[in-house]
Amino acid sequence: MSVHFHRGPMRIKWMLTIASMKMFFRQREAILWTLLFPLLVVVLFGFVKFNGLGKIDMGVVNEAGPQGEELLSRIRAVTTFDVSVGARDEEMARLARGERDLVLVIPSVYAGSAAASLTAYGDVEAKPQVTQLGGLVLQRVLDESAFAGAPGIRRTIVTTLPFKSRNLTYIDFLLPGILSMSIMQAGIFGVAFGFVTLKKRGILRRLWVTPIRPNDFIIAQVAMRLLVVVMQMAIMVGVGVLFLNLHFIGNMALIFLLGVLGAVVFLGFGFSLAGISKSEDQVAPLANIITLPMLALSGVFFSRSNLPGFVRSVTAFFPLTYLADGLRSVAIDGATLLQVMPQILGLAVWGVVSCVLAVRLFRWE
Amino acid sequence: MTESGEIVLQVDDLVKRYGGVTAVDGVSFSVHAREIFGILGPNGAGKTTTLECIETLRTVDAGTILLGGLDVRRQAQEVKRIIGVQLQSSSFFDKLSLAELLVLFGGMYGRHVDPLALLDEVELRDRARSQVVQLSGGQKQRFSIAAALVNDPVVIFLDEPTTGLDPQARRHLWGVIKRIRSEGKTIVITTHYMDEAEELCDRVAIMDAGKIIAMAPPHEMIDALVAGGFRKEKVERLASLEDVFLSLTGHTIRDE
Repeated sequence: MSVHFHRGPMRIKWMLTIASMKMFFRQREAILWTLLFPLLVVVLFGFVKFNGLGKIDMGVVNEAGPQGEELLSRIRAVTTFDVSVGARDEEMARLARGERDLVLVIPSVYAGSAAASLTAYGDVEAKPQVTQLGGLVLQRVLDESAFAGAPGIRRTIVTTLPFKSRNLTYIDFLLPGILSMSIMQAGIFGVAFGFVTLKKRGILRRLWVTPIRPNDFIIAQVAMRLLVVVMQMAIMVGVGVLFLNLHFIGNMALIFLLGVLGAVVFLGFGFSLAGISKSEDQVAPLANIITLPMLALSGVFFSRSNLPGFVRSVTAFFPLTYLADGLRSVAIDGATLLQVMPQILGLAVWGVVSCVLAVRLFRWE
Repeated sequence: MTESGEIVLQVDDLVKRYGGVTAVDGVSFSVHAREIFGILGPNGAGKTTTLECIETLRTVDAGTILLGGLDVRRQAQEVKRIIGVQLQSSSFFDKLSLAELLVLFGGMYGRHVDPLALLDEVELRDRARSQVVQLSGGQKQRFSIAAALVNDPVVIFLDEPTTGLDPQARRHLWGVIKRIRSEGKTIVITTHYMDEAEELCDRVAIMDAGKIIAMAPPHEMIDALVAGGFRKEKVERLASLEDVFLSLTGHTIRDE
C-alpha cells in the first residue's frame, strides 16, 4: 500500500489533467467560446474600417518647443487632420505600424532659421492619396500662416518623404487584443462558473471522500486551463497568419509566456470569485464588474491613446492592459523579452495579488 | 447471524454540533464484518451527519470513531483509502463516460481498475460508454455504488440509495447490495423505507433528534413490539418494522 502512497500523487494529477481536458473539449460551448467566437470577432471587426471617419491621422513631432506651438495649433485647427503629438521615436513607430498616415517633424532649428524646411513622412507607396492630400493641406496651412504674418511661422516648404511602413491593418491591432480578452474570459468566467457548479452539484464532496488532496484537483484544473490557453494562442496566431493576413513578426515563446502569465492572473481572480459565490447568479455580476471596464478601457478593441489623460494613466495599470500591450508589441513589433519586461512585471505583480486573494477566498464547501 | 464477526466500525459517544444545534448527540454503535447495518430515522434525525463524520467529511466535536482499526479523527487520509462512499446528493463529472469515471476514481486511490468488471457488478456493462446524465435514476444509483467499489473498500456507506426510485428499481438495487455483501463487504446504509431495512439489514439503529433510541435486528424489534401488546388493526402479519419505527418516533411529519 505504501507504494501507492508515493506513486499516486503525480499520476493522479496527470490523470485529472487529462480528464479535465476531455471534459473541456467535449463541451461544444468551450470550442465555441475559446476558438470560434474570438476568431469571428477578429474577422467581423477586421472587415470594418476604423480609419477615424476619413480623417488623416497626423502625428506631429515638435522639437522646436514653444516656437513650434503656433504652427501646431494651426495644424490642429484643420478638420481633415486627426492630430496626435508625440516624441519622434514613438510617432515614427506608429507610422511604421500604419497607425499614422503622416508624421510631421518640426525640427529644433525651425525656431531661429528663416529658411527652415519642414519634413513630413508618409508611406507614399502604400497610401498615395492620403500622403499626397496630407502634404498639400500642410503646405496650405503654412502658406496661409505666412500670409497672415503670424509670428514664429515662416513660409516653409513641406517635403513628403517616402517611408516604408508595414501597412498594418486593424486585424493586427485587434487579434492580440481579442486573444487577451479570451484569456481573461476563460480564466474568470470559466473557472468561477465551473467551480460553483462543481460545488453546488456535490461533485467536489464526492472527490473529498477519496484520498486525493484538494490541491491535486486545483493543480490539474490550472494545468488544463494553461494548456488550453497555449493551444488557443497557437491556433489564433496560425489562423491569423494563414488566413487573415496577420503581420506577425514576434517570438512565439514570448507570446506563450505572456499568455500563461496573464492566464495565471485571471485564474486567480476566477478562483477568488468561485470562493465568495454560492451560485451562478452571484458569479455573473461580480465577473462582469471586473471584466467589463477592462474590456472597454484596456485597449482590446481601440487604442488607449484616444482616452482622456487621467483615464489613460489609470488604465495603464489594469492587468488586461499589460497583457494586451505585451502581446501586441511582441506580435506586431517583434518586441524582445527586455522590451516587454514592464508588461511581464506588471502581470507578475497582478499574479501575486490574484493568487493571494484566491488562497484567502477560495472555499471548497 | 453475523454478530460473531469482528468489529470493523466502532463509534463511541459521537457528538456533532452546528452552531447551537446538536445534530448528533452521543451516538454509539458498532458494525461487524460482512454485516448490513441500517440507520433509520426521520428527516433531521442526524443520520446523514453521522455518516459524514465517519466518512471524514465533517469534523467531530466529541467522541471516537474507529474504522478498520484507524482513528477517523486522526488518520482521515488512511481511512479514505479503505471506505467506499455513496453520498446522498453527489453527482459525477459531466462529459466523461462511466468507464472513464471509474478509471479516474481508481486513479485517485492509485489503482488500475477494470471498469467493465466493476460495471458488471452493478449490471451496467452495456452503459460503459454512456455519461451519467443519460442514466435513469436507478442506474445512477447503481453507478454510484460501482464508483464506491473502485478501491475494494472494507466498508461501504450508502446514504438513502433508493430514495426517489420506483419499486422495481428499488428491488433491483437491493439485489445488488445483497450480492456485494455476499462478496465479503460490510455495508452501512441509511433509509426512510422500513420494508427496505427489514429486507436488507441484519441490524438497524433507529435515530431521532440526534440520538439512537433503539438498536437490534429488525425481527427482534418486531417481536418485542408484539410482545408488548401491539396488534395491527388489520392483521396480515402481526406487525411490520414500519410499526416499530412509527411507535418509537411518532406520526408527526417533520420537514428538514
